[in-house]
Amino acid sequence: MSRPTVTIHGADGAAGKESYALPNVFKAPIRSDIVQHVHTGMAKNKRQPYAVSEKAGHQTSAESWGTGRAVARIPRVSGGGTHRAGQAAFGNQCRSGRMFAPTKVWRKWHQKINLNQKRFATASAIAASSSAALLLARGHHVSTVPEVPLVVSSTAFSNGALKKTSAAVALLKAVGAGPDLEKVKDSRKLRAGKGKLRNRRHQQRRGPLVVYEPEKDGKDLVTAFRNIPGVETSPVYALNLLQLAPGGHLGRFIVWTSAAFAALDTIYGSTTEASELKRDYLLPSNILAQPDLTKLINSSEVQSVLRPVKGGAVTKRSHVQKKNPLKNKQVLLRLNPYAAAYSKNGLGHVKAEQKPAKLDGTFSSTLFDN
Amino acid sequence: MVAAKKHVPIVKKKTTAFKRHQSDLFMRVGESWRKPKGIDNAMRRRFSGRAAMPKIGYGSNKKTRHMMPSGHKAFLVNNVRDLDLLLMHNKTYAAEIAHAVSARKRIEIVSRAKQLGVKVTNGKAKITTES
Amino acid sequence: MATSIENLSSDLIWEVTRNQNAFLVKRKQSGGIQLSRDPLNLVNKHSRKYAGYANEKAIGIHADDNTISFVTKVASKTNKPASVHHKTSFAASTPSRKVYRNVVSSTAKKGYRADLRAEAVARASAIKRSQRDVKDTKRVTKLRGAKAKKAAAESS
Repeated sequence: MSRPTVTIHGADGAAGKESYALPNVFKAPIRSDIVQHVHTGMAKNKRQPYAVSEKAGHQTSAESWGTGRAVARIPRVSGGGTHRAGQAAFGNQCRSGRMFAPTKVWRKWHQKINLNQKRFATASAIAASSSAALLLARGHHVSTVPEVPLVVSSTAFSNGALKKTSAAVALLKAVGAGPDLEKVKDSRKLRAGKGKLRNRRHQQRRGPLVVYEPEKDGKDLVTAFRNIPGVETSPVYALNLLQLAPGGHLGRFIVWTSAAFAALDTIYGSTTEASELKRDYLLPSNILAQPDLTKLINSSEVQSVLRPVKGGAVTKRSHVQKKNPLKNKQVLLRLNPYAAAYSKNGLGHVKAEQKPAKLDGTFSSTLFDN
Repeated sequence: MVAAKKHVPIVKKKTTAFKRHQSDLFMRVGESWRKPKGIDNAMRRRFSGRAAMPKIGYGSNKKTRHMMPSGHKAFLVNNVRDLDLLLMHNKTYAAEIAHAVSARKRIEIVSRAKQLGVKVTNGKAKITTES
Repeated sequence: MATSIENLSSDLIWEVTRNQNAFLVKRKQSGGIQLSRDPLNLVNKHSRKYAGYANEKAIGIHADDNTISFVTKVASKTNKPASVHHKTSFAASTPSRKVYRNVVSSTAKKGYRADLRAEAVARASAIKRSQRDVKDTKRVTKLRGAKAKKAAAESS
């Protein structure tokens, strides 16, 4: 089977003559369960430890009064001359006591995720980014994009061709990413809750992710793109699941430079050939060779082992009013085709030709024989 | 306004609320339902003369569950965009404008609902003034 | 699939997105109804059959100012979002029956989503109705109580 190809688009958004065969990563299995699981783990790896003070609620020499004073046996602050004396302390139920199960800095903040799982999730997220339907379902406004996956020729970026943000915006708009940029701009809202005070003042959607090849495309494009709201950049060699599937939802809108796109096969290899950069790494293969259920069901292999439908092509009608065949002639005829001839010939009114032979009395005499 | 689809009569098996045990005796005991758990509790043991406790038998017919007396079900609407979802469902769902929507936007929603033939349950709120 | 990538199908897309997607509108009241904002969803219902983004072929009908725009998906261009839609629009003066006939003859009669015939006509009809001028019907309510007395006093 010939591999599908992807056209390379110029900086003006026009389709070029060149095209690439689709890299093998795009055929990786799309497994939202693995992506979600890896994402929840990875999202935890940037956390900073926090805890309440070790001493909080314990900076008093409270001691229980014991029984016999008609108060609860909770530790009470000793001394006199102040309101604090005699008040309960320490317990989590006490005012100015310690909290229940005080948080500790040695909580398990980070998650170890197996390397192969991480690579599986990344490959899966890349593969999902090649489906326009998944991009739309994630909420990207991609209906003006000429093709998915979207590959832009590296000539637009290399040798510092793209240094200014205005040029970067113009490029994104030319390749049809304009509506997605607008969506991000309009989505910027003040965050609900305390996060506002903690350097997370605003919330906004994510826009396109520009993936480049640092050697060939240079790094000037990073500065050009970084001030456009929602746009992120990433080198192909360091793709991050948190960017490829934000929130664990598959289908990030990715703008590939042609150099980055070409590098994908060397980075991920295929299901049979090991990757050049990841030692002994083979791409995961699909469990189902045919994911289309209708094709699977209608395939000759499946159809040949199925028995024919029982009862023929009669659709079972539910909720139909029951018709009385004695009153409704059409229903009667369906049940008894002979009824037509029967009534036409008036067979119901014909007198019996022979009179039944009279009983000769042997039957009754045998019956009452005693 | 489109009338709701024909439906079997709505039967409510119980129209009064289930009140928490002893909420009538103490201020501190609220009315919202809590199942009595006490070992000797008469209500829990369903003694005669005690208030009834909720059970599955009080459930409504599935066909009329969540239905308002008009035969519609409510669908919360925040803006005109939400309202447009009901274009094909104006016989089963009625729009209910969220409480935080301003009078100006309510007027837009109500007029659009009129075009779509969608019933608005609280269409008069914040728009009309009492004379 | 048009590009025949072996790992993608509309069934898979549906399974990945059925729990949560950008078009889905969930409400907790009325037994947790799920609607869809998908422009290619004829009845705005969140279901596999009507999910326009997931299916290769889908029909969309919506109001455009005073006209009706009618969109179908070109199955061979699934991965080309800019050219995947085939759009036609009907002028406001087009009679309803002509709209239905055109919609049906360009879809169901050609074997294109014949299962959506009734829904397509129903939606076109609903949009047509919504574009008509709404008659201002004021219900005459019978006055009761103090208001009735006041009205009676005024009229006499």
